[in-house]
Amino acid sequence: MNVPIEPESQSTQMPLEFTSEHESLKILGFWAFLATDFLLFSSLFAVYAVYQFRVGMSGPTPAQLFHLGPVIFETVALLTSSFTCGLAVYEMRHHRLKGTIIWLAVTIVLGAAFVATEINEFLGDIALHDTWHRSAFLSSFFTLVGTHGSHVTFGIIWALTLLIQLAGRGLTQVTTRKVYMFALYWHFLDIIWVFIFTVVYLSGKIL
Amino acid sequence: MAISRHGKHTRVIGISPNGPTGHGDEVESAYLAPRFEEEDFPWKQILGYIASLVLTALAFGAVVKHILPPAFLIGFILFLAVLQASLQLGVFMHLREGRGSTWQIVTLTLAILMGIGLVICSIWIMTFKSGVS
Repeated sequence: MNVPIEPESQSTQMPLEFTSEHESLKILGFWAFLATDFLLFSSLFAVYAVYQFRVGMSGPTPAQLFHLGPVIFETVALLTSSFTCGLAVYEMRHHRLKGTIIWLAVTIVLGAAFVATEINEFLGDIALHDTWHRSAFLSSFFTLVGTHGSHVTFGIIWALTLLIQLAGRGLTQVTTRKVYMFALYWHFLDIIWVFIFTVVYLSGKIL
Repeated sequence: MAISRHGKHTRVIGISPNGPTGHGDEVESAYLAPRFEEEDFPWKQILGYIASLVLTALAFGAVVKHILPPAFLIGFILFLAVLQASLQLGVFMHLREGRGSTWQIVTLTLAILMGIGLVICSIWIMTFKSGVS
């Protein structure tokens, strides 16, 4: 079986991050990573759904623990950062380095605002002795939401390294591929947050 | 939809799959061919952002106002969350773009199937009142 090779003239029509076959395979590999990460979060969601009402002797119920004000702020911050990250990729596809860097920086700031609000929430809970030792509900809550929060924190550090690389090397096949992968990761975290917002916080107020 | 109104600014770069090889193994599916979209203004992103905010506001409003009985309300906000996820995948994650989007779509579909099985089956098995202690 022969595998035909695309003529060079066709490859130049593709976005920069896909022009090299090697780099575009890495993007596919990243989709596979996202699939496994999705399974990790599925397990944590299953644990949470099962332990939701195991609140122990005197532990708080979901409705008592959650404050929707900060959670709404976190949601809007993350949705907006998803939008600005999409704009960064849009600018990158139009070969505008400055626009890419600016929107990526805005994404980092919004992500940091999200993490800061979440840490503040957690510290507030811990100050009331509602730690993850207290009940099965609190254990699964902190594990699920904390795993997402640490993913976002890692994403912020990743994006900072990308800013340095973009400033130093400009838009190359490698840097654009990295920005594209970061964007996939960031939007994926946004999807996970939408489910945390729905399954943990909103449902907690209903039941 | 507004995207099609500005359709003249959107170009889909569909690079035709490799020509006939004579071995009967020609690529048949459009999803196996490289496909990319190019826009002159980020309408898709802006509309996607507005839609994501509207979906969030709808879910929040429905819960605060208790518009439905609890079981239906949870079903409704879960439905909104799935819409929101599809929106993120389609608009921001360029799910249908790539050098053959079949590969990422198959990977993702498999993960979603296993994820749903994991969550639904866990909840289901924990509803048994006896026999697991």
